[in-house]
Amino acid sequence: MGLNVVVLDPAHGGVDLGARGTEGIRESEVVLQFAGQVKRALEAQGFQVILTREGNDNPSFDDRSARANAQRGAVFVTLHISSTGLPGTARTYVMPDFPPSSDVSGLIPWDRAQAPFTALSHKLGDLVQAELAKRFKGSPATAQIAPVRQLRTTAAPAIAVEVSSVSVENRADLDRMIPGVAEAIAQGVAAFRPSYVLPAIPGNVSGQGGQP
Amino acid sequence: MNFTWRTWLVIVLVIAVVGAALYFPALRRQVYKAKDITEKTAEQARRELLPPAPVTSGDPKVKAKMYWGSRSQPGQLDPVTVELPLSSDPVLRSKQILNTLLAGPVDPEARTLPPDAALLAFYILPDGTAIADFSEALANSIPSGIESEQLAVDSITRTLAANIPQAKQLKILIHGQEVDTLAGHLDLTQPFDVTLEGMSEPRSGVSIITAPIQKAIDKVKDATKR
Repeated sequence: MGLNVVVLDPAHGGVDLGARGTEGIRESEVVLQFAGQVKRALEAQGFQVILTREGNDNPSFDDRSARANAQRGAVFVTLHISSTGLPGTARTYVMPDFPPSSDVSGLIPWDRAQAPFTALSHKLGDLVQAELAKRFKGSPATAQIAPVRQLRTTAAPAIAVEVSSVSVENRADLDRMIPGVAEAIAQGVAAFRPSYVLPAIPGNVSGQGGQP
Repeated sequence: MNFTWRTWLVIVLVIAVVGAALYFPALRRQVYKAKDITEKTAEQARRELLPPAPVTSGDPKVKAKMYWGSRSQPGQLDPVTVELPLSSDPVLRSKQILNTLLAGPVDPEARTLPPDAALLAFYILPDGTAIADFSEALANSIPSGIESEQLAVDSITRTLAANIPQAKQLKILIHGQEVDTLAGHLDLTQPFDVTLEGMSEPRSGVSIITAPIQKAIDKVKDATKR
């Protein structure tokens, strides 16, 4: 099973505006714009892209994860704009390692769905972050570790990309970052493609295609 | 006669419209002001009901290490040593330490926690799990984002790690309730390691919320409902 699908998640939406800047910049709106261009860059690399939202709605964390968990051969990328951080930089976050567990039926608990995938997520995160660091000076060289709620329930290699920030004086400063962020994510995911092998999951004999 | 009656009617209507146009904006301002005062009063009342951790003159002054935001490296924490009268009791000492952390550093730009947030309750279970219950302001006033939320939690866990050796992990509640995230990003459903090593991470292990932790959480929830 090869990697052919990217589930792209523009965070927040609907009544959840996300981070808000003093100049009226709303994270929920900006990430939709980022997502459109990231989608095109990924499609140019031959990936099928599924968006968790295309308009101003706000699916739950679990609904967003479910879009990825229903796919085979997928990775998950959630897009955010921060309130803080050095403007013009971008960071990739991955979940810390936590051991997988399964019940007697071999099913992985929903709230620990990311556990078997953390090693792959770290690899994907480092590849994407390396591309971001090339394009945005001041960004870290490797992926950061943080317990991001959205990632925990996702049964696929999963990363969060956070761009700084809504506090820029001019919205155009953020808009200028869109092509670079899109290219970095597309190049990083493409570089990850050869590393993609589904991990062995408890209760699954073959360890192939065994997403919970 | 009929003309005079209509004229007076028009005049009265015009006066009524002009009066309403002047009065309603002022009324709206008064309503918003009253709402603001009510909200502030509720938060103030809650703080007044919860006495701050006592700092008695008998407590010896000791050097405590507080972790606030770094001015030289944005997104990082720097330790700052302050001299405080601290209790030898770990729970009281924790409250004193966290209240100092919430009060913030001299430089307001180095704050990691919102100035209006308050510590409502604090316990340490026999297994070293600390439970800290913060007011809703911690979640509502913190800048939204993975980086800022991570920095806030790190500042709490590292400050506890540096000063309270009895605390091994930390479960954060907001106004007595378990919540999914701090402000939309960072997962608060699991306890964090209280450590100075690397970043704060959820505890590993199959059964993370153990029965004693759950019991203590329920106790805090009940106390908050009352």
